[in-house]
Parts: sequence; structure tokens; C-alpha cells
Amino acid sequence: MNGSVGPMRVLVTGGSGLVGRAIERVVKEEKLLAKHSSDTRAVFERHRPTHVIHLAAMVGGLFRNMRQNLDFWRNNVFINDNVLQAAHDFDVVKVVSCLSTCIFPDKTTYPIDESMIHNGPPHETNFGYAYAKRMIDVQNRALFQQYGRRYTAVIPTNVFGPHDNYNIEDGHVLPGLIHKTYLAKKEGTPLQVWGSGRALRQFIYSLDLARLFLWVLREYDEVEPIILSVGEEDELSIKFAADAVVEALGFEGDVIYDTSKADGQFKKTASNAKLRKYLPDFKFTPFRAAIKETCDWFVANYDSARK
Amino acid sequence: MNTGSGLKVIAILDYYSSPCFKCILTPEVFIKPHLSVSLSLSLSLCQMDGSVGPMRVLVTGGSGLVGRAIERVVKEGGGREGEKWIFLSSKEANLVSAEETRAAFKKHRPTHVIHLAAMVGGLYRNMRQNLDFWRNNVHINDNVLNMSHEFGVVKVVSCLSTCVFPDKTTYPIDETMMHNGAPHDSNYGYAYAKRMIDVHNRALFQQYGLKYTAVIPTNMFGAHDNFNIEDGHVMPGLIHKTYLAKKEGKPLHVWGSGRALRQFIYSLDLARLFLWVLREYDEVEPIILSVGEEDELTVKDAVDAVVEGFGFKGEVIYDTSKSDGQIKKTANNAKLRKYLPDFKFTPFKQAVKETCDWFAANYDTARK
Repeated sequence: MNGSVGPMRVLVTGGSGLVGRAIERVVKEEKLLAKHSSDTRAVFERHRPTHVIHLAAMVGGLFRNMRQNLDFWRNNVFINDNVLQAAHDFDVVKVVSCLSTCIFPDKTTYPIDESMIHNGPPHETNFGYAYAKRMIDVQNRALFQQYGRRYTAVIPTNVFGPHDNYNIEDGHVLPGLIHKTYLAKKEGTPLQVWGSGRALRQFIYSLDLARLFLWVLREYDEVEPIILSVGEEDELSIKFAADAVVEALGFEGDVIYDTSKADGQFKKTASNAKLRKYLPDFKFTPFRAAIKETCDWFVANYDSARK
Repeated sequence: MNTGSGLKVIAILDYYSSPCFKCILTPEVFIKPHLSVSLSLSLSLCQMDGSVGPMRVLVTGGSGLVGRAIERVVKEGGGREGEKWIFLSSKEANLVSAEETRAAFKKHRPTHVIHLAAMVGGLYRNMRQNLDFWRNNVHINDNVLNMSHEFGVVKVVSCLSTCVFPDKTTYPIDETMMHNGAPHDSNYGYAYAKRMIDVHNRALFQQYGLKYTAVIPTNMFGAHDNFNIEDGHVMPGLIHKTYLAKKEGKPLHVWGSGRALRQFIYSLDLARLFLWVLREYDEVEPIILSVGEEDELTVKDAVDAVVEGFGFKGEVIYDTSKSDGQIKKTANNAKLRKYLPDFKFTPFKQAVKETCDWFAANYDTARK
């Protein structure tokens, strides 16, 4: 009578990844039913979800994106269309997809906010991935306009945590730093950091992101996406992040910044004003503590970690 | 073929039956969303000097406004010795389906593609069905571009539109501005699907060196258009309404104030330019195909030309309660003029007269 669907059956696509594992851990503490997914329609038929958290994507770091924009575009458009369309066909009440601040316009004013996603072309290095992600928002709006579906999306900034992809060539900045520092310590070599160290990022711990994902799933009612991030005041340089990793792993060798390597986007400050409007009191895990936990996890799970 | 890691690989061999061909192996391993791996080899028809030999041109959307114009231009001397032109319609293949698209490519084995097929409609239909316009067109475009790549097509020329440009913009618009902001709210589904053709083209060039490209016409008109009054575009709508007004001895009702400005391009001129783009234009960045800014006309100018084209003598009433759509979308044709400074467009009144004559002669079979 009140429009609710009874107990939720939540399908989490990409459930074995960085964010999926974090959600799983947070959910275990809350006893929700969540499933992994590696396919679409068959899985929807099998599990009949009422809700979907859609995390599955082809992802990679700067250098891999630069080489394979076509694959990032096509594979992600297919994944996203498959999930959103299956969700619609199977009458899923709500889908929460996952975008990223790296898809925003390259030429823009700062801080960026949720209304600016489509205001210009993305950075040249990952335009395939960026457009595919942007089109999730286009499809959400069209699903709402044509069918009244309130499917939405979140926009995290730089995510890190256990269960990440720690591949140095293809990974993102923090897992790459953690892996490299671990090896540098083990082999007694210097730590080589790509870029100048001056690029600025807002980092969000995967467990914090997972808690916020659950809030969005349950409470956030808009179709327009929402940025999930620490505030502007907590923006950090890569050098700061490298120092935190060095400290967490107790690395005592040289740290060298290879300025011949690209920094990627220099700055992508995101405004979390909308999140703060809804959740003024949400507490993020302090950065150094989150780094320490992640480094400890990596050391303890080195053999099985994705790399 | 087995890879070292023990993956079993399915090779799909496609080849052209021609006396001279060169085999280009482009092994690519791509991960599909359902995590299967396939390897495709494509062979391309090549001659010693690197040119492609006689073209086999597949025109998708071949039975539409632009497709028919290209067919006529090819027949009347635009085609060359040994070329094969195939005009595909939705009757033969539903390009929303990957399997049907593949079957069409397998059957026709094109070396070149002019990709015109799309789900299109006027203002009101777009406003109601943005999801369908987005999804169907994205699928069509991905199927055609992907199959072209897979089958070793040398060049694809797709068709965009000035209506996909950013809503908030300065004028005149040019080719560099297409992605600089959100499109008009009335047709964002269609607009984004078209824009993504350009994204796909750039990605194909970056990853594989393919020079697939696109053109951006302004408002087209001509024989074989969709003359449906509810769902059609402004020129065919005017033509149909004037024809009926004349036949029934009634006033002509024009929607909007008549003050909206448009650049109109005759389908036969567009077709000639399409052939030039196919043969000579070597950029991946799209090119606007239009008359110049100086030839921008009001809807009232167009109405007057249609009235004259039919010899309509009744009253003309402008219904200002109806939307004008965008008041102005002036496009810059400087890039075209840089390449073809001497290209002559058919004079507007003459083109309108030819179209009106065609419509009157083909009323029964015209799409409406």
C-alpha cells in the first residue's frame, strides 16, 4: 500500500571489485541480501532483484585509457545498457549506478558540481570511458521521462581501499603507490612516483563510500546524480598521499618524482555541498587511518591481491 | 589457433573474391561484457599503390531522403566505373539488431559505408520518446561502425545534424563546438546518440588508425522525404500542408511565427557533397555541409517559396501559439568553403519547385 516492495533483493554488479567488496563488508554488518554478478539478463532472471547497485565496468588507469578509448567506450556502453534495460524490463524499483569525477568537462570552473557533467568535452585521455559513464545519466533521465523510473547515480572522487586493482601499469594512483612502495621496501630500491606529485585529488575510502551507497539506495530520491566525496578542504596532493603510504608501510628509502610522466588532470575539485545538505553529520574515516588499513590489508593479502 | 595461455580462439575469416588482394591481419583481443574472448581477422582489398580498388559502397538508410538523393546522383554520373552501390533499407535489415547488421555486411561485403540509417522524428515525437531515440540510435550506430571495423571497411561517412549541437552556444556554430554543452532538452536522446558517432569515430582512429568520419547537414529537403505533418520536419511539412490547402481550397496554417531562421540544403546538393566527402575528405573531425550564413532564410521565406512552387493562391495564416523550436541555429560552412570554394548550390526557389513537383506527382506513394 505504501509503495514499498517488501524485503529488498539487491543485485550488486561488479560485486567483486573495490567498491563491491566494501559494500559487501558493510552489508554483512547489516545482513542485507546482496549478490555478485558477471552477466545480465540470466542473472536478473535467476535473482529477480528489486534493487540494483551497478558497479560493473571496464576500468583502468591513465595509461591504459589513453591506449584503448574505443574499448572503454564500447564495453562500458554495452554493460550499462544491458544492466539498465534489464532492470527496466524486470521492473527493478531502483538502480544506483557509479560515475566518477574524471568524466566531467576538462575545461571547467572549480569546484565542479552535479549540474556540470555534460557542459563540455571530457579530458582527452579517457574520453571513451568518460562518455560511456555520462550516458548512464542520459539513460537515467530518459527512463524517468518516458517511464517514470527513478534510477540514479553517484559520483565518487578517487576511491581506494582493500580489494582494489593494485596493478602498477594499469591501476589508479593510490593502489599503484601502495604496490610500488611495498616492492621498493622489499627490494631496497627507491620509490619512483610518476608525475610531479603536485596533482590534486579528493580521496574517499571504499568503506565510507559503501556506507553512502547504502544511504543513496534507501533514501536518495533524485534522478540527478550526487557527488560522494570528502569536502574541498580535504583535497590532497599526490605527494601528500605518497607520504602517507610511505609512513604506513614504514618505507625509509628515497622517493623520486619522475616528471617525464603525465600528471593526468592537474585538479578536479568536486563540491560535496549536495551530500552535506542531506547528511551534514556524516563522518569520513581520517585519511591516514584509511591508508594504514589499506596498506596493512595489502601486506597481509599480497599473494591474492589483484595485480 | 591457440594462444600460449591455452585460450581457444575462434577465427572469423572474411575475404573479398577479387584477383588481387592483400591480407592485413589485425589481431585484436577484446573482452566483451560477458567475458568471452574472440579474435577476428580482417582482410582488405588492396592494390599495390595502397588504394582500395573498385569501391563497394553500402548505404544504410538507403531508401530515405538522403539515400534516394545519393542513388540519383550516382546514377546520373556521380558514380564511377566498376563501383557497386548497395542501398540498404530497414526492410532488408533491422540495424538495431547486431545479428542482422552482421548478416547484411556478410552478404554485401562493402569497402565503404555511407551510414544514414537512424530512428528520426520531428519535435513532438522526440519530446515523448527520448529513451527510444537514445537506445535505438546508439545500437544502430554501434552495429554499423563495429561491423565496418570488423569487415575491414576502409571508410564510413555517418550523418549527424546541427540539431545535436549545444543548446546554449554562440553563433555561428562550427565543427569544433559539438560537444561543448548539453543539447536542447526536446531531443537529447537523439542528440547524444548522434554525438556518440563522433566519439566512436575518434576512438576508432586513436586505437586502430581508421579514418571514419561524419557530416553535419543543416535542414535538408527534397524528394522522398517524410512528409508527415505531425512528425516531419519543417520543409516537408509545409509542402504537404500547402498541397492539401490548395487541393481543398482552404487557408495554409503555418506553425510558429515564421521568424525562425534556418539554412536549407537541397538533398541533391547534399548527395553530391556526400560523394566528395567519401572520396576526398580525409579528416576524422566532422564537416558541416550547408549553404553559407548569408543564405540563411526565415521560415516565412520558405513558406513563400512553397506557395509559389505550388501556385497556391489562398490565405496564409501564422499560428503563433505553436512553438518555433530554436529561433536560430546558424552554422558556419567555412571548412567546406576552404575545401570547395566553387561548389554551387541549387538556387533555393528552384530546389523547392522541383520538390513540390515531385510531391504532387508522387502524392499517393510519398511517405506521410
